[in-house]
Amino acid sequence: MEDTHDVLVVGAGLAGMRAAIEAYDLGADVAVVSKLHPTRSHSGAAEGGINAALGNASEDSPELHGYDTVKGSDYLGDQDAIEILCEEGPGDVFQLERWGAGFSRTADGRIAQRPFGAAGAPRTAYAADITGHVLIQVLYEQLVKRGIKVYEEFFAWKLVEEDGRCVGVICWDLLHGGVKAFPAKTVILATGGPGRLYVGTTNAYACTGDGMGMALRAGAALKDMEMMQFHPTTLSPSGILITEGCRGEGAYLLNKDGERFMKRYAPNALELASRDVISRAEQVEIDDGRGLDGNVFLDLRHLGAERIVERLHGTRELALTFAHVDPIFEPIPVRPGAHYHMGGVETDVWARTTLDRLYAAGEVACVSVHGANRLGGNALMETITYGRRAGRHAAETALEADDAALPESVVRDAESELQALLDRSDGERPWRIRDELAETMHENFGVFRREEQMTEQGEIVRSLRERYAHVILEDKGNVFNNDLTQALELGFLLELAECMVVSGLARKESRGAHARPYDFPDRDDENFLHHTIVHWHDGGPVLSTKPVRFTKWEPQERTY
Amino acid sequence: MKTVTFRIWRTDANGGGKFVDYTTEVSEGMVVLDVVHKIQAAQANDLAVRWNCKAGKCGSCSAEINGIPRLMCMTRLDMIPIDKPVTIEPMRAFPSIRDLATDVSWNYRVKTKIKKFKPRTPDAPDGSWRMQQEDVDRVQEFRKCIECFLCQDVCHVLRDHDMKSNYFGPRFMVRIASLEMHPLDRADRVELLAEQAGIGLCNITKCCTEVCPEGIHITDNAIIPLKERVVDRYYDPLPMLGRRLGGRRRKGGPG
Repeated sequence: MEDTHDVLVVGAGLAGMRAAIEAYDLGADVAVVSKLHPTRSHSGAAEGGINAALGNASEDSPELHGYDTVKGSDYLGDQDAIEILCEEGPGDVFQLERWGAGFSRTADGRIAQRPFGAAGAPRTAYAADITGHVLIQVLYEQLVKRGIKVYEEFFAWKLVEEDGRCVGVICWDLLHGGVKAFPAKTVILATGGPGRLYVGTTNAYACTGDGMGMALRAGAALKDMEMMQFHPTTLSPSGILITEGCRGEGAYLLNKDGERFMKRYAPNALELASRDVISRAEQVEIDDGRGLDGNVFLDLRHLGAERIVERLHGTRELALTFAHVDPIFEPIPVRPGAHYHMGGVETDVWARTTLDRLYAAGEVACVSVHGANRLGGNALMETITYGRRAGRHAAETALEADDAALPESVVRDAESELQALLDRSDGERPWRIRDELAETMHENFGVFRREEQMTEQGEIVRSLRERYAHVILEDKGNVFNNDLTQALELGFLLELAECMVVSGLARKESRGAHARPYDFPDRDDENFLHHTIVHWHDGGPVLSTKPVRFTKWEPQERTY
Repeated sequence: MKTVTFRIWRTDANGGGKFVDYTTEVSEGMVVLDVVHKIQAAQANDLAVRWNCKAGKCGSCSAEINGIPRLMCMTRLDMIPIDKPVTIEPMRAFPSIRDLATDVSWNYRVKTKIKKFKPRTPDAPDGSWRMQQEDVDRVQEFRKCIECFLCQDVCHVLRDHDMKSNYFGPRFMVRIASLEMHPLDRADRVELLAEQAGIGLCNITKCCTEVCPEGIHITDNAIIPLKERVVDRYYDPLPMLGRRLGGRRRKGGPG
């Protein structure tokens, strides 16, 4: 079959493209499927930068990077995975420069590095405030140079599991319609996160957790699903991201009285504390009446017009367009918004999931380098380093494996399932379910979590899932049927929401992004220093736990 | 809240199309993409349209709004007149797929024709290079391009004269400039520019620069310097004279 490949990568953001390049360079026949043209992927929206201990701005080491990351994770990160990231990151950054990524420079011509939250040294390499955008173009150019096949605008919908192995992917062809099956010896998921679960999110519309949903349905384990990061500086109501680079350059956070309130929450690090700490501080300020219209303020004025225009040009454009504010003259109103999911498909340090021949890398995966809270700049590094490792292992495995073949029935079954959805004429349109899900998740599973709200949210999600079983579509056509793909995406989101809520209820402590100030305000290492594992069984989530992997850092009290 | 009419281009199964009016309530701060989403959810579930990042970074939601090429996600309703119907139609320089979605794949094919980045050998044993920020700045300006193809849509050569086989268009002049002016790059694309890429067809009307949502100075910083490179190579009078006289090129003086 012509569409059979050794390695099939699902998703064409940074992790997916890096994986594909590595697999190709090892001699595998590799292809990529993506529901978008690759450079439209959400990795391209990453602004701030990529963390690697280059030591160009001050003394730094992989050891120090590792410690910062472990502490940032509130000790839930797997330390072997973190050590790999910090050791291999610098070489990966030089590789990106060799491919044409023009990073910003120091005075003596080396790669510049700026301070980011909770980092012991200025460690974040950047290309102005378009780092992700530059990297995604560079990797796409490498894909094109190698002639790697990209199936663009194919919506991956199902993983095919046979005898305990992943043997391929079933997709919907967005441009022409119809089900298409891609057999593959190994499959790498690189589909990003599920930020669209929240009404206020920095995430693009495509971030609907498809890969996590597919893996869950195929029997793979998900990990730490309760850990959704809220970024401290997003615009309301759109959720547009204002980069942490602003605070890296020295911006202040003010409440409505003009007070730099972070001095009460993180007296040393102030605005450069970790994201979970700052988002909680902002939420307290807002809840206690020291915000304005649900916002606090990000003040860049003292940086001066020249620096703002030179280094934070894109940020100024966004503030002008979406907040009607010119940060040269006025502070930007900001609030916490859903940004990054630390949890995801459980993998080992070679990106292997619990399903044989299935890999995952990037935000879809949980290896876990971020634990309960990710540091700014570590996500881009993870996509590159673990994308590369996924590509390597998947290629080596595929080159030794027999040809993959899909059972004939899988395409027929998928077609009839979709036809049943298209033919249904009596029921509810998906849009209201989507909106209710995103609004209630924001309300009941946000920065602070209460037992009764989480319980209620579990019931809400289950009732939305019942309604979803009867959704109807108006668009019955084949060409660019947004109605159909959005309905399929909603199916993934609903199951992931349920996994998140039950995981949150089970974690009766406060750790990183999971904050329960009203009943369990403290971290409880004795009972909860473990990962939450979810499997899908008989139409619902089943929980278990897994130990955190330690190498050299003992849990300590975490202050900034 | 205000009630506004949006006149959206809808295609039919036979390849034709017409504007259909949708009236909806809008609030302050909304952008055109928000409105399109709202209309899609409530009134036109079968509306085909591309989008993704909602923040002017992915280049998916290009359209012509009141006849002007714009990103839907970056067009605030207070930037356009809304007291009369607002027209939203697909980019007209590219073939239609359906409704607001167009087939821009010609651009992706053009991109593959450009000679790839080829760096000089590293300056340091660890595989890294030394560059000055001012040199990087030039490239970073071109790197802001999100490939929305609004510049291609508005370019006279491509749109009015349909000379896609003779000219790569402003987007790819920016791309070539980002490579040619990259401080590490060692490849030569001047011949490509003069011949296959057809830079001579651009007559510098700057329409591309005007519609660029990233504010890239396409004409001044990319196209004109590249035209100069072509002129230096092909029309510099001294080597030209040399070629005429002796068919040989010599450094330092006429043949």
